[in-house]
Amino acid sequence: MTFNDPFGIIVVKVLGIFVLLVLMTLFTIWAERRVVSRMQHRIGPNRTGPQGLLQSLMDGIKLALKEDITPTGAHKAVFLLAPIISTGPAFLAFAVIPFGPEVSMFGHTTPLQLTDFPVSVLYVLAVASVGIYGIVLAGWSSNSTYSLLGGLRSSAQMISYEIAMGLSFVAVFLYSGSMSTSQIIEKQTSVWFILLLLPSFAIYAISMVGETNRAPFDLPEAEGELVGGFHTEYSSLKFALFFLAEYVNMVTVSAMATTLFLGGWRAPWPLSTWAGANTGWVPFVWWLCKVFAFLFVFIWLRGTLPRMRYDQFMRFGWKVLIPSSICWLLIVATARALRNNSTMDTRGLLVTAAVILLVVVGISAVVERQRIAATERDEAERGEREARSRRLFPTPHAPAAASAAALEPGEAHDA
Amino acid sequence: MIAVFWVCAVLSVAGGFGMVFSRKAVHSALWLALTMINLAVLYVSQQAEFLGIVQVVVYTGAVMMLFLFVLMIVGVDSSDSLVETIRGHRLASVAAVLALLVLVLTMINQATQSLALNIVPTGLEGANADEGGNVQGIAKLLFGRYVFAFEVTSALLITAALGAMVLAHRDRLTRVPGQEELSRERLADPATAAGLPAPGVYARHNAVDTPALLPDGSIAENSLPGALVLRGTTHDVREEVAVTRAAELASDPKQAQEEQS
Amino acid sequence: MRGAPAVSAYLPILVLGLVSFGFAVFSVVAGALTGPKRYNRARLAAYECGIEPTPQPAGGGRFPVKYYLTAMLFIVFDIEIVFLYPWAVTFDRLALFGLIEMVLFIATVLVAYAYVWRRGGLEWDN
Repeated sequence: MTFNDPFGIIVVKVLGIFVLLVLMTLFTIWAERRVVSRMQHRIGPNRTGPQGLLQSLMDGIKLALKEDITPTGAHKAVFLLAPIISTGPAFLAFAVIPFGPEVSMFGHTTPLQLTDFPVSVLYVLAVASVGIYGIVLAGWSSNSTYSLLGGLRSSAQMISYEIAMGLSFVAVFLYSGSMSTSQIIEKQTSVWFILLLLPSFAIYAISMVGETNRAPFDLPEAEGELVGGFHTEYSSLKFALFFLAEYVNMVTVSAMATTLFLGGWRAPWPLSTWAGANTGWVPFVWWLCKVFAFLFVFIWLRGTLPRMRYDQFMRFGWKVLIPSSICWLLIVATARALRNNSTMDTRGLLVTAAVILLVVVGISAVVERQRIAATERDEAERGEREARSRRLFPTPHAPAAASAAALEPGEAHDA
Repeated sequence: MIAVFWVCAVLSVAGGFGMVFSRKAVHSALWLALTMINLAVLYVSQQAEFLGIVQVVVYTGAVMMLFLFVLMIVGVDSSDSLVETIRGHRLASVAAVLALLVLVLTMINQATQSLALNIVPTGLEGANADEGGNVQGIAKLLFGRYVFAFEVTSALLITAALGAMVLAHRDRLTRVPGQEELSRERLADPATAAGLPAPGVYARHNAVDTPALLPDGSIAENSLPGALVLRGTTHDVREEVAVTRAAELASDPKQAQEEQS
Repeated sequence: MRGAPAVSAYLPILVLGLVSFGFAVFSVVAGALTGPKRYNRARLAAYECGIEPTPQPAGGGRFPVKYYLTAMLFIVFDIEIVFLYPWAVTFDRLALFGLIEMVLFIATVLVAYAYVWRRGGLEWDN
């Protein structure tokens, strides 16, 4: 594939990507509200437009008509800059995402992808790391304690999970021999990497949820602790920009997962036997389906899982995800070296190793849980014994004490 | 190409000046980030794609983030202090600038001499073509000729981790009670089994610095957040409560009787 | 494309950047113009559960030093990852020697990791 489009085609593609991302954001916000409602036996927005589809558009317009507040003591320039730094890179990451094979556009044959170069996956990482600046700066410039703590938390969380994410890419590069997105998809013609590199996919899938600050890892927005996190002080369209950036980032990580592990725009197996499935504009449909599947999982997670505690979250990232991805990486590299130096078929070996690794992680999780349960049982028994010996039961205010206090209100005042 | 150079060179130098002349530490950090991103673009325009992107990932993404973490806690209103804390700081700066000047002049000299000898710089284009790509070329050098330097880098990384631990980690002398323990402890005491009263309940304000009033009208001091009590910014409601209480009792003689008995 | 990529491969990024940053700047400006402006002191105060906003410590206050450690460890691993990428791409060409040298490298970095783990540097609530 070559990327030497005339300028007109570039502009068309850029506008196409921009509109696609804005539409996907609007749709995902609506879908999230509807699906979560459904999971909670509610109805959700269904008034604006058919099935409430125009709800998020209307919300956006409403936000534009809201008062634009810059709190006193905020650092004005940085306060304005932060949402811009957050939104711009979110869109930029999509420059290297392949949507389909070569298509004909206004008489030009051109790949359905804005651009590609030998280090394009790294480029996505780089752009994402610039996007984190928006969050840090928003937290700092608001001159509010909640924003500051929220900003610090988000960025610490994002960089922690970025490591696991970066490590999960390495196995893909090992098998594709390239860091360019279109080449990686080309290497998945016969078999998708999710089948070969299942643990890598699992690690990526977990870390992408942490990276986008979504439930159950949405600690920066833990309402009970931090109000709105880094965007507590933002209102009007500046708030809308942060919202947009969050959803565009969701779409980006989903698209990256599709590209790296699910064969990108390639048709899934039974459909791929049809000759027309992988040519022309049709693959764009497969791409959309895969990305929406990921977005649905994001929504599903939010509707299902409770939020993790911050120390649990960090422990999981640093003590589980990182060592297991390094382990898996060494297994993959060894298998690959064996394949290169002998005639052994390492695919079976790799799948076996993946299964073993997953089983080991699973068993250790079960053992750990049983250990915790056992200690809990012991402690509960001990607690009950102690309570019995002290004739204490875990009850709310003893009525006698309360009525005694009611008789002497003056006493509490002096205390 | 030339346009890219002029735009990015000007921007990166401007970033450098901005970084030096900013009075606020966070501004300096932002200017430095601008310089780094422009350097990355310059690398990419010289066909050093891998280096360019890595420049953003490592320097802008990781190193500057470390700076920002430390700077963030410096309040919005504060400016740099201009007091020198390191002895011989000025002398060392002058020496470093002179050294850099010598380096740059040597480089310019070399380049002009080569041009005079009609040696045309080829850039990385040739090297990339030989190895089948920029990344492949770097890998060949890094894991071939410079493999020793590469392995030594890992020792440097150990040093960094050790340094961070020494500077930023302190061992706890006592164990911190976990969520489970705290909740058991709370349930064991009947006075707190149902949780502490929340601030602002039955009170005259619903703000977090106003203590709750218990149903009997007494003030629940333990409903206030400890941090606010220590800072001394809580609302003193004793007087207000006493006044209200007196008014209530005056309007309701039956309750007043109960109270006296 | 693999040999010497033309700078034209990066032109689309510039165009996309202009569109996306342009949109962001436009939104920030438009938001300031379209909304009503009925400010008062309380509305402009930073949000803090109904109390007077906590003053930010001037000249640097206390800072959870844990974040510093996290950022430092992030740098260490980030650099490791950056070395892993070209290694992975050229793995087939580097042959067994490549595998051995990377195992050595990872093992050395893991020494630092193990040390930090043992000392409790990875415990957030400590």
